[in-house]
Amino acid sequence: MLDARVWFVWALTTLVAASATRSPLYIIVLLLTTMVVGGTCAAGEGRRAPLSPLRFAMVAVPLSALFNALTVHLGDTVLLHLPSWIPLMGGAITLEAVTFGALNGLTLTVIFAAFSVFNQVTPVRDLVKLTPRAFYEGGVVLSIALTFIPQTTRSLQRIREAQAVRGHRVRGIRDWLPIVVPLLVSGLERAMGLAEAMVARGYGAVCSEKQPFRTQALIIVGLMTLLAGWLAYLFNAAWSAPAVAVIAIGAVTIGGAIWLTGRGVNHTVYRARSWTAGDSFALLGCAVTLVAACRGRAALYYSPYPVLTLPSFDPLIGLAMLGLLVPAIVTVAREDAEMHRDPDEGNGFSKQPQTSTDHG
Amino acid sequence: MERYTTDGQSTERRSSSIRIDRLRYTYPGAQQPALSEVCLDIADGEFVLVAGPSGAGKSTLLRCLNGLVPHFTGGRISGRLSVGGHDPLEDGPQALSQVVGFVFQDPEAQFVVDRVEDEIAFALENAAVPPAEMRLRVEEVLHLMDLANLRDRRVETLSGGEKQKVAIATALALRPRILALDEPTSQLDPQSAEGVLQALVRLNQDLGLTILLAEHRLERVLPYVDRLVYLSDANHPPYSGPPRDVLSQVELNPPLVALGKALGWNPLPLTIKEGRRFASQVPRHKAKPAEADRRGMGGRGRRPRNGHGKLGDARHARFAIQDLHYAYNGKPVLQGIDLEIESGELVALMGRNGSGKTTLLKCVVGLLEPEHGGIRMDDESLVGQETAEISRQVGYLPQDPGDLLFADTVCEELAVTLRNHDLLGAPPVQPDDLLARLDLEMLKAAYPRDLSAGQRQRVALGAITVTRPHLLLLDEPTRGLDYEAKRELVRLLREWQEEGTSILLVTHDVELVAQAADRVALLSQGEIIADAAPELLTTSPLFAPQVARLFPGTGWLTVDDALDSVGKNGGATDA
Repeated sequence: MLDARVWFVWALTTLVAASATRSPLYIIVLLLTTMVVGGTCAAGEGRRAPLSPLRFAMVAVPLSALFNALTVHLGDTVLLHLPSWIPLMGGAITLEAVTFGALNGLTLTVIFAAFSVFNQVTPVRDLVKLTPRAFYEGGVVLSIALTFIPQTTRSLQRIREAQAVRGHRVRGIRDWLPIVVPLLVSGLERAMGLAEAMVARGYGAVCSEKQPFRTQALIIVGLMTLLAGWLAYLFNAAWSAPAVAVIAIGAVTIGGAIWLTGRGVNHTVYRARSWTAGDSFALLGCAVTLVAACRGRAALYYSPYPVLTLPSFDPLIGLAMLGLLVPAIVTVAREDAEMHRDPDEGNGFSKQPQTSTDHG
Repeated sequence: MERYTTDGQSTERRSSSIRIDRLRYTYPGAQQPALSEVCLDIADGEFVLVAGPSGAGKSTLLRCLNGLVPHFTGGRISGRLSVGGHDPLEDGPQALSQVVGFVFQDPEAQFVVDRVEDEIAFALENAAVPPAEMRLRVEEVLHLMDLANLRDRRVETLSGGEKQKVAIATALALRPRILALDEPTSQLDPQSAEGVLQALVRLNQDLGLTILLAEHRLERVLPYVDRLVYLSDANHPPYSGPPRDVLSQVELNPPLVALGKALGWNPLPLTIKEGRRFASQVPRHKAKPAEADRRGMGGRGRRPRNGHGKLGDARHARFAIQDLHYAYNGKPVLQGIDLEIESGELVALMGRNGSGKTTLLKCVVGLLEPEHGGIRMDDESLVGQETAEISRQVGYLPQDPGDLLFADTVCEELAVTLRNHDLLGAPPVQPDDLLARLDLEMLKAAYPRDLSAGQRQRVALGAITVTRPHLLLLDEPTRGLDYEAKRELVRLLREWQEEGTSILLVTHDVELVAQAADRVALLSQGEIIADAAPELLTTSPLFAPQVARLFPGTGWLTVDDALDSVGKNGGATDA
């Protein structure tokens, strides 16, 4: 299991790489790497994706192709003509526009798949740890919201069934009332129950210290500096350099205030993950892909307009994109190592990583 | 054992005895107090069972111990309270979280994060327990609750019993000396419930934890309990003392105790083992031969019903399932189910969790589509019909009746169903008559979700039976009900049977089956492995009710069976 931050960077890198190209070859490479990583790392992991990437593609690709074909009338290979009196859609429907639309849909699929993997492999608590320490309570709320989603989906299903056996049919908007009301009420009941359970477990006993005035003042000063810099930037192009500096000062001030607040939050972290070589390796892989995506813009560029051509493929950049495969390699290597270890060693205390206090 | 206060400082171990003096509490907006004049004195290490009918104040009493009442609920409180050296009224629930671990009824509603281990650590993280110490404590409770192999699992993938064990583990992580549990097994099947209760017994006996347990299934816990606190209603001070003493004074008893009282056994037996000593002296007349019972009538006059003695050959199958198959994601769940239910017959469907019981019910009402096979009501096939259509002649009560209820009043719930079926003008049953039968006349204008579990269930029953269905499907109808509510349910079911309604009952509750069922079908891995008279249960080590365990080989199932046979039935019934 990799660090949640590494997974976040991985998902972002995939996003950047996918947005940088419309060449079908690179997109397919990215789609394959994402699916391999998902298959090895997210297999059997709990939170199910609400929609499989394949299903997403089945909707996104045709829809995007259709939309692009109807609204963009560039390209030389005309398939048919729509009468010109139809606003926006009237004109030539071209093969190039269909292709470009389909490629857009495929790009969206890659991004969707990457974030599905991220969502599946990161436990809720690790997501909370991605939030700065000062926002600990916000993080807890986020975590509760995330645990609430599957519960709510299940109760929605139950309530729909329960209403159906009373002869209820959903025909119009009003017919949703017998489903929405119990869903809301049971959600509220559950929220009250959870609040009670959290209080009974001592939540809120120590972690909310009163913010000292100084940190509050610091945040206000930081925000105002930031705003002043931004306004200066907008007003006069000649001021742009000093304005950026002022913005930076504002940002640093706010960051400092958040850090100060974080120090006041009194809680500890259970089994804080220690950084592993695998994490560094995966991060390195992402960096390689990222550099390739930024530097190789010209090679990544592909446009089907005005006439559909075969896309070119730079093997070096293709290879660099395989950097995104590192999480899968790390996972397989780790599983392999664990399988070859003495079975007794895998149990109890010895297996777990070291604990440490949270400095996040 | 070292203890940590909220600032991580080690302090001395506190005494955990509970002292309650003239406690009186009224919920905000309520006229009547929920608790009045409660005086209790509980010693360190006692196992206390808090019993009583729904609404008698069991939850309220437990919530007073950790300050949730009145700090979380509001309301007026008077009297004195001392819990482990703290005053919950003054210190509040956060401070008391270190003294009293609390476990709630619904395991789902107490989790903050998604992994077992993280969930247990959550309270410790909030209490700023140093990481090394935290590691040790989590490890301790994982082993204590036998959860070590589930540590990495996601909470939502656990079974109900496992979830409740995790909830207990999270409560134990702060190392409280007192554990308060509010009906922790009411949402669980008997096997899971047994696991949870055994874990509690171990905590009490091995660690000397003081345990206060509110629970309906008295028969399961009585053998281990040091003290029984019985809350009858808010106007009476609670009975408190050794279980035998209290049970002899109160009315709601498990079958074994009810039988012991009726036959004058002294001292009252609390376990089957204790009861066997007395049972061996009871003269036994073997029940009617099993052959007669196989026809589904029971043959012992357990349920004298209109004209049923003659039904033997003349009756025809009103409802029949033939060779029903259902698969979920390619995995077979139901494999060739054959089941027939006569008019006015009650068939109990039993089996372990995941054997396909609920799936079968859902196939019948059209919520799931069977792969193949037939479902027929009289001569009409139900397969392929819309659920809304089927539900007019088949009433289905899901596990949680709360899912059905959304209207503002009890009356309106019935009207909604009629409106759905376009029957508001000419209802098959007059809603007022039905409410009277359900004993809900006085609650016509009440908000359904505010009612007790038993009342809520009766409202839901009203909502599905107002179309006068020929067949009733009930999924775990006794879950979370007290003895009185169960008795009321049995009465209703009998009335419906007498009118010719067929009933298919999915349940784990063997005592209910013993009392109400004409036939029992056992489901295992999607197949019906037995379909016979309830006497089938007497020989089953898994499903035998208390009376059958007490008198093996007699065919007796209920207290009434036994009392009838020994000629002592003066109307004592169990529930």
